[in-house]
Amino acid sequence: MTDKPDLEALRSEVRAFLAAEAPTGWRDASRTQDDFVRTQRDWFGRLVKAGYAIPHWPASFPGGGRSLAEQKVIYEELAKADCPRLLLSFVSTYHAFATLHECASDEQRAQYLPRILEGETWCQGFSEPGAGSDLAAIKTRAERKGDVYVVNGQKVWSTMAQFADKCLLLVRTASDGPKQAGITYLLMDMKTPGVSVRPIHQIQGDEEFAEIFLDNVEIPVSERVGEEGKGWAVAQATLASERGLTLMELSYRMRGALSRVAALIREHGHEEDRGILRDFGELVTQVDAVCAIADQFLDNRIRGIERIGDASIVKNSYSRALRAYAKLGLRLGGIAEQYIAPITFGDLNTGNWMADFMNSYAWTIAGGSEEVQRNIIAERMLDMPREPRAWVA
Amino acid sequence: MIELNELTDAAQKAFPADSLSPGRDESWRLVAEMGWLMVRLPEEDGGLGLDREASAAIHFEMGRVLATTPLIPAQLGLQAVLASTIPARSDWLERLAGGEYAPLHMLPASVLNGTKGTLSGTVGGVFDADMAVAVVAKLPDGYALIPTDAPGVSVVERPIWDTSRRLFDLVLDGYTPDPDLMLTDEAGAQALHDALAPEAHLAIAADCLGAANAALDMTVEYMKVRRQFDRPIAMFQALKHRAADMKIRIAAAEALLWNRVRDPEATLTQCGAAKTLAAEVFAYVTEEAIQLHGGIGLTDEHPIHRFMKRAMLNLQLCGSSDLWNERTGREALEVS
Ligand SMILES: Cc1cc2nc3c(=O)[nH]c(=O)nc-3n(C[C@H](O)[C@H](O)[C@H](O)COP(=O)(O)OP(=O)(O)OC[C@H]3O[C@@H](n4cnc5c(N)ncnc54)[C@H](O)[C@@H]3O)c2cc1C
Repeated sequence: MTDKPDLEALRSEVRAFLAAEAPTGWRDASRTQDDFVRTQRDWFGRLVKAGYAIPHWPASFPGGGRSLAEQKVIYEELAKADCPRLLLSFVSTYHAFATLHECASDEQRAQYLPRILEGETWCQGFSEPGAGSDLAAIKTRAERKGDVYVVNGQKVWSTMAQFADKCLLLVRTASDGPKQAGITYLLMDMKTPGVSVRPIHQIQGDEEFAEIFLDNVEIPVSERVGEEGKGWAVAQATLASERGLTLMELSYRMRGALSRVAALIREHGHEEDRGILRDFGELVTQVDAVCAIADQFLDNRIRGIERIGDASIVKNSYSRALRAYAKLGLRLGGIAEQYIAPITFGDLNTGNWMADFMNSYAWTIAGGSEEVQRNIIAERMLDMPREPRAWVA
Repeated sequence: MIELNELTDAAQKAFPADSLSPGRDESWRLVAEMGWLMVRLPEEDGGLGLDREASAAIHFEMGRVLATTPLIPAQLGLQAVLASTIPARSDWLERLAGGEYAPLHMLPASVLNGTKGTLSGTVGGVFDADMAVAVVAKLPDGYALIPTDAPGVSVVERPIWDTSRRLFDLVLDGYTPDPDLMLTDEAGAQALHDALAPEAHLAIAADCLGAANAALDMTVEYMKVRRQFDRPIAMFQALKHRAADMKIRIAAAEALLWNRVRDPEATLTQCGAAKTLAAEVFAYVTEEAIQLHGGIGLTDEHPIHRFMKRAMLNLQLCGSSDLWNERTGREALEVS
């Protein structure tokens, strides 16, 4: 496929930038946590300056206002140049952005969005030990005392919370009535007294997510997004970002990262192995279909068309393709991938296929598991009846 | 876009979803009346001059009702004549756009050269040859229009499991090709094939996904009314998730199809890959659909089996999944 002239120009521009500035050796240079944070911040800063960090933001921000076609070019080129994904600023540039952009007050937007570009990072404090798939069951309490909410409770699985400056926090302000109705959405400074963070070891050895303990944490009422008790609706904006908006970048990055599988095929001399070529071809088509459906989703969204379930379809298509991608890489890599090697934080890019394979579960579980998305599609899109809930106390 | 919605609406009115596989001859008349044979024919040749998207939208609707009318081979045959310079070209175009039928064959031909310029052998995969005035076939010397009533030409039906379509062999026995009906020479045959094959793939893919959607709808509706253990079986999560998976896979394959339909530069391999994914998804949906219908899914009265039969035939048209997956893999290896 060849691009239209304006895209062609952008592609050469991005390529020229990457030829000069793409980080090399970042895998080796981000194997400790401090190094990881340093390399991520550095690369984010340079992408902001070059105008490629937030192509999906409005045009009023430097580097924003890009068309979908332009965004794709950028993501594809970043992946092809094997640049690190911006894991540290992912929640900031997507979930925090979407939430603030769609639901926050003008003051909140004016205060926080520019700071993201300066490097302020966010984490998402939704899940709790007793509230995962059943997110509305959160128990973390917030009591209003004058101008502040006093918050007590515990959050879990919060990605990059240990490095975050701010937190998108869901709390309970009422426990009578339907459980969705008592939820309030707060913006929390992670340095507030009473906040403590304990990283959790993941199966591939990283400490990528963390627990957050909240002990009489005081959050100003001015940091509330939306009305008290109406936080569930705001949370939907965050989740919609997680389930839909992010996926174009991720899909096109996976498209670009197919070159890693191709490299393995060559490295192991499988260029004429028809079975492997077939499996690779099937994966390529699956990834192309994911890109196509992510495109369609965002295209529709821009035109104001979004049905319940659309984002779930995109998310499940992506998460399945990611598992298939990692699994083929793992298979082709052979025994070498079973040796424990120093890896970097990341998803499909750690430098070890076994780690990528383990990481690929992130998307079939995080952001609402695959099964929960299936429920949404079946019940809200195909209009199939819900199961009786007689056992709920 | 308005044109497209109009086409889809017209198709849904003419071929309502509640009547599967309406009679062939009547459907064919309807198709001709609505001008669908002329969809891809340029306006200067008396056609509607519409793009691939319009054509795919119609094939999608034809798939949805398991149409019996052989619109795909008819359109391909017409485009082959269109690309030619035979003396009676405009005459043929007018006849074909008006409702005479000259399909392109959809399976390989095994035609042997005979003595003194005659040909013998079989051209496979001709849909509805019984109503064809001629068949567009790839012969050793290039593509040709072969009148079905010419000496040395006969058609033999090859009964198939797919109850929504009819398949024939065109049998040549000492047939002498008419030089005035040679659409290409030997060298031009590959170019014509490469020009028509993407069209064929996209048409079949659209047929598959229209039908897959209909099979899913039918299955979900059935699951909502069929009761076991005091509740509709649609309430069981184990089954609901299977329905959701069908929806997810159809949606992704559809997105890829429209993407390639709208991309005039999509390569033959990319179109073959879209067809492969669509046909695989269609086959998977119909397998699930029969299982979820239980015993009734195995009866002749219930229509769900007809979807499965069409899916399995579609998988075989224009090259197997293995072939296209391999080509896709090979090409992706070259560029990455
Ligand atoms: C890598 C990673 C990063 C994450 N990052 C964050 C973050 O930054 N912030 C944050 O707030 N959260 C985060 N999460 C949490 C994530 O949202 C939850 O893990 C997820 O919603 C599932 O909840 P759970 O882990 O409690 O599993 P459970 O809800 O206990 O689910 C266990 C199993 O039961 C299934 N299940 C549960 N209910 C149903 C049902 N009704 N029907 C069918 N199956 C069901 C699930 O699909 C799953 O297979 C992250 C998770 C992961 C894995």
